[in-house]
Amino acid sequence: MAVCPVYTTQSLNSTCSISTPSKTHFSSHHNHLVFYRTSKRTSKRGGSSSCVITCSAGDSQTVVIGLAADSGCGKSTFMRRLTSVFGGAAEPPKGGNPDSNTLISDMTTVICLDDYHSLDRTGRKEKGVTALDPRANDFDLMYEQVKALKSGIAVDKPIYNHVTGLLDPPELIKPPKILVIEGLHPMFDERVRDLLDFSIYLDISNEVKFAWKIQRDMAERGHSLESIKASIEARKPDFDAFIDPQKQYADAVIEVLPTQLIPDDNEGKVLRVRLIMKEGVEHFSPVYLFDEGSTISWIPCGRKLTCSYPGIKFSYGPDTYFGHEVSVLEMDGQFDRLDELIYVESHLSNLSTKFYGEVTQQMLKHADFPGSNNGTGLFQTIVGLKIRDLYEQITAIKTAAPLQATKA
Amino acid sequence: MATLRFNSLTGTLEKNPTSFFSSNPRLCWAYFQCNNKGERRASRMTVKAMGAAKYKGTQMREKKLTEMIEKKVTEAKQVCEGDETSEECKVAWDEVEEVSQAKADLRLRLEIEKKDPLESFCQENPETEECRIYED
Repeated sequence: MAVCPVYTTQSLNSTCSISTPSKTHFSSHHNHLVFYRTSKRTSKRGGSSSCVITCSAGDSQTVVIGLAADSGCGKSTFMRRLTSVFGGAAEPPKGGNPDSNTLISDMTTVICLDDYHSLDRTGRKEKGVTALDPRANDFDLMYEQVKALKSGIAVDKPIYNHVTGLLDPPELIKPPKILVIEGLHPMFDERVRDLLDFSIYLDISNEVKFAWKIQRDMAERGHSLESIKASIEARKPDFDAFIDPQKQYADAVIEVLPTQLIPDDNEGKVLRVRLIMKEGVEHFSPVYLFDEGSTISWIPCGRKLTCSYPGIKFSYGPDTYFGHEVSVLEMDGQFDRLDELIYVESHLSNLSTKFYGEVTQQMLKHADFPGSNNGTGLFQTIVGLKIRDLYEQITAIKTAAPLQATKA
Repeated sequence: MATLRFNSLTGTLEKNPTSFFSSNPRLCWAYFQCNNKGERRASRMTVKAMGAAKYKGTQMREKKLTEMIEKKVTEAKQVCEGDETSEECKVAWDEVEEVSQAKADLRLRLEIEKKDPLESFCQENPETEECRIYED
């Protein structure tokens, strides 16, 4: 246990807390918190009034983000958009195993949680468990390694090779500024969950999942509509039992549903996307439309803006989600032109952009990514900016406190 | 290089991107005053050509994954004939999903990143079988 001198500091927005590096925690959003001056933990619009006194053993603490998704890992468009917000492109580690699932950029390292499979493909077949089953994953190792990386210690992480289905020799992962753990179970284990500074769950509805998998697989020899359907159906029980319940723990859920603008649309091309943002999460202020906390329904298309079919519809409002207070921002429809995008951006608030038009610029930068013309791309980009904001706030607190202490 | 200009009703914003490739023709046309239609088409063609595998190793992986998908779908159908809710059936279809996703990821990497995944490995190990340049 480290000896931590206690300073009374008044940091930037008058938040202060006392922490020691090696101890456990009380809050699920904090790294380590021993006790508070005041008992108010949730931050309202005016900022929290708890006290932060950080005792850091250097600047070694990494910000950890968890992303739960059923779409494979490390290569998804969400990850690309996120790393792009920070600048630079994420690439596999140079010179290592070519089948590595890890992506590294200047600021971020993205780890695929499939690497923590305790059973390889043959092992899972023998035991009769799918990859979705927690029995196929080593949560102890996951926890140890994420904890180590978070405290600034490099780890030798195993590699799960998706081509051979085997576990390859480990690769060295150095602690990055931002660590993203992506996969099926980032929030399944409670210890790992507590290490996360922010967590996201990508909730794709069954109809949309089916449409996407058809697009993905129909060109493959061997696949047919029936085989795609059978695959989804067979995995559904394990998915519902082990993966789906994680969404209650997420700070932000991106829910993708079929559109309501076109009756009986089953192509999955036009989407209704909902960004469900938990209230009271530290360093995270939900995006809102027009008036925070009120309920709004907005169709931007009209006299000022002409949209093509089927148009765009937004809604915003407070709600509860698994017993938590949330704010929900919803977009149904498609962007067809640039001025629709910039028009929408100019009416949203709390986007955490650094300049006017940043969301639009980010969307344009990756206009060829799937989802660039609808709510999936928009909300993924916004969440990316929110994560950047969260990261800057956390690092500002860490660097501000010791500086202030020396003045005292 | 195209000039990007868009007007919002609350102000105007101009920006000059250094390069922009779009596989969606409507996107390109609507957003850009593409000065040279021929130029635009040519650059899209270049993009397509770059989406193929460069090294033998990648081509071999693609082929292997394609064969595995076919094989595992057949296996799954056989295993599930008896009991659709059995563990064996679930595992079989899970394997199909795994290899289908792996193939899709590889394809996505080639098409969007336009770089062969073996690029950095082959720079260090150019003499290996995997790193022979793949000629169609």
